[in-house]
Amino acid sequence: MTPGMLGNLGLGMAVLFSVAGLMAAITAWIARDARYVWVARRAALVAFLGTLTAFGALEWALLTDDFSILYTARNHTSASPTWVKFATLWAALEGSILLWAMLQTFYTWLAGRKMRDYWTSPVALGTLFVIQLFFLVNVLFVINPFTPVPNPPADGPGPNPLLQNHWMMAVHPILMYLGFVGLSVPFAYAVAAMVTRRYQTWVAETKWWLIFAWGFLTAAIFAGGWWSYEVLGWGGYWAWDPVENASFIPWLLATAFVHTAMVQERRGLFRSWNFALVTLAFAATVFGTFLTRSGVIESVHAFAGGPVGPIFLGFLLVILAVGFALLGRVSSEVRDVGTVNLWSREGLLLLGALVFVVMAFVVILGTLFPLLVEAFNGAKVSVGAPFFNQLFVPLGYAMLVLMALGPLLPWRKADPETLRVVVWMTIALVLGTGAGLALGWTLWVSLTVGLFLFNLVALAWLIWNPIARRSRALGSVRAGMSAAGWSRRRYGGYLVHLAVALAALAIAFSQSYRLDVQKTLEIGESWQVAGRTITVHALRAVEEPHRYSVIADVEVSGLGTLHPRLNYYRTSRTPFASPAVAYTLGKDYYLVLQAFDQQNSQWVTLRLVVTPLVLWLWVSAILMIIGTAMILWPSGRRAARPSAAGEVTA
Amino acid sequence: MKTKYLVGFLIIVGAIAYLAWGGLGNSLVYYVLPSEYAENPAKYANKRIRLGGLVKEGTIQYDPKTLELKFVVTDGVVDIPVEHEGTPPELFKDNQGVVVEGRFDGDVFKGENLLIKHAETYQAPPEGGYTPEEVRKLIEEAK
Repeated sequence: MTPGMLGNLGLGMAVLFSVAGLMAAITAWIARDARYVWVARRAALVAFLGTLTAFGALEWALLTDDFSILYTARNHTSASPTWVKFATLWAALEGSILLWAMLQTFYTWLAGRKMRDYWTSPVALGTLFVIQLFFLVNVLFVINPFTPVPNPPADGPGPNPLLQNHWMMAVHPILMYLGFVGLSVPFAYAVAAMVTRRYQTWVAETKWWLIFAWGFLTAAIFAGGWWSYEVLGWGGYWAWDPVENASFIPWLLATAFVHTAMVQERRGLFRSWNFALVTLAFAATVFGTFLTRSGVIESVHAFAGGPVGPIFLGFLLVILAVGFALLGRVSSEVRDVGTVNLWSREGLLLLGALVFVVMAFVVILGTLFPLLVEAFNGAKVSVGAPFFNQLFVPLGYAMLVLMALGPLLPWRKADPETLRVVVWMTIALVLGTGAGLALGWTLWVSLTVGLFLFNLVALAWLIWNPIARRSRALGSVRAGMSAAGWSRRRYGGYLVHLAVALAALAIAFSQSYRLDVQKTLEIGESWQVAGRTITVHALRAVEEPHRYSVIADVEVSGLGTLHPRLNYYRTSRTPFASPAVAYTLGKDYYLVLQAFDQQNSQWVTLRLVVTPLVLWLWVSAILMIIGTAMILWPSGRRAARPSAAGEVTA
Repeated sequence: MKTKYLVGFLIIVGAIAYLAWGGLGNSLVYYVLPSEYAENPAKYANKRIRLGGLVKEGTIQYDPKTLELKFVVTDGVVDIPVEHEGTPPELFKDNQGVVVEGRFDGDVFKGENLLIKHAETYQAPPEGGYTPEEVRKLIEEAK
């Protein structure tokens, strides 16, 4: 048995049992017999074991340096360190789609464990089987990583150096796929809901999956930003590159859906909207792959093309067609229970969701616009960051206002008590903005500071008010605190909101006050810049099995010695700069070794980027993950679940 | 009730569309070849553009002390002098396809961002240099 044979065996098994599972689901639906659902669930488990086998087989080939299959021959080198070998599985297209297929079968099986009836379960399970078959058929027949190579090379070229330059690249894709795949479950339930005409409960049933997927998408986007910051050497974390946008669009749509799903669960509103939104969010995960793999969009990441682009485009159209055709069929009978008062929690949740949908639309427009222009008049254009910033700044402010007010207002109708808090919040907003302007910050930055405080006051009141009310009744703060209880889900939501406000602050400062300078320094020479003294002490070379590095030892006064380096990989003609960053609570000092004296090692050219508050962006990411985990953590009291669920205000 | 929301929704969509199209018009960056520029320089005055072409042989002047980089971008028909501050990328050399993002300052193009177009298969230029058609093809391929 070779890894190639085992891999194909696993994939073949997965395809067969997915087809069998789909047949069983269809039979269950036609015969109205729950026993076939049981069969389908078993098939889902075997399909998952099949993809797991294929995954293991590819890891086997990578870790044992077996170059007899296409994937290793093209993307692997025996010189890689072990962790790079392991992560090489998702460093290129074929392996990434295999990973995606593996996670999809895993989720199908997991989601299937809750499916027992003969009415909605067959449709939901059948939808998941169709989705996983799409990926499996692609991996097995179109981009099979296990395709035998007639004359196996002794060694391969290795993965893209940019990907092995930082450990985060081993983690980021997994987070991303865990998020992408997670959205398939709410979509499948939505399809089942529309087919079986049960329009209300699917949202509550898939809430856990939705928030789970949202958490991973969030983590993945921040991880990607941090990777970009640590590796790409331009001192930024976000460039509105198509590949970044591809991950941002599903996140924006999922965020919108998280909020309106809450309204549907609690009040039975926005049902049609939620069907549309979950279809768009799931379609966006496929759209992202189409965008980055089809070669239609120019990107610095420049992934290889191949037949995958059109295939994913087709799948994207099928998802949209199925989702909207079903919605069109039932839309006349999907009715909301009651109407919306805009000045209420559900009203603001809807507005907030609209802001996110508009943001998604802006990103799609900006990403595709170059294509449209070229199609119409042949001119080659690119849409720069100014376009996105111009629109995201006002949209971001709208978001900051709505996210502070939304959790404050009660359902159905605002009460006078909350208006008092809004007065305090407005005072904080005015004071914050005024203080910012007095300190000489730009209007936009000052406004962000004001809105940060606006949110802070709202959150403080939200946390304090229930305690204060009970304290008054019970006569002591201590008694009030224990009586107010600890609603983990609600505080998880607040924590996510706090983190988003913090991220907005970090983004405003880091985008507005950035110093980016270059200078050539002799070895031993000092450079006074940005209130620091930068001294180059030495330039040295280090030889590693898979690369050769030139490292500068640069002392930044008060922050120690940094080691920016240039890595030369065997397979690449260009060196890859590996920046060195001194993280501080205030400003980051980011050093890039741009060039060095290749004859005599007398001088180096350094690039210094000083950016304020970037560290807080990563802090906010961690807070968002903690907040999401608090929401997801199963509550001990099972009976209390339905009521607690409605109070999640993320 | 429903019409009220529809009207509100249309207003929001309209405002966004207006912002988007207005915003797009101002923040589009055109990709221009030297000869396209020469046909109509006034069109690109004071606009941020991406100038594409090949680095003309023997025109690179770089001083690592001052970080001043001067070279000429050509598409085989029209030559345009470029000034850029900063270290040239490693692959920057004669006959390399480049894209310079920046603005025209008189006849000189002031680059703010210098990108190398990766054509992994580098070929030495033929005797006597490239013909304009070949240059255009190289630029297209390198994109």
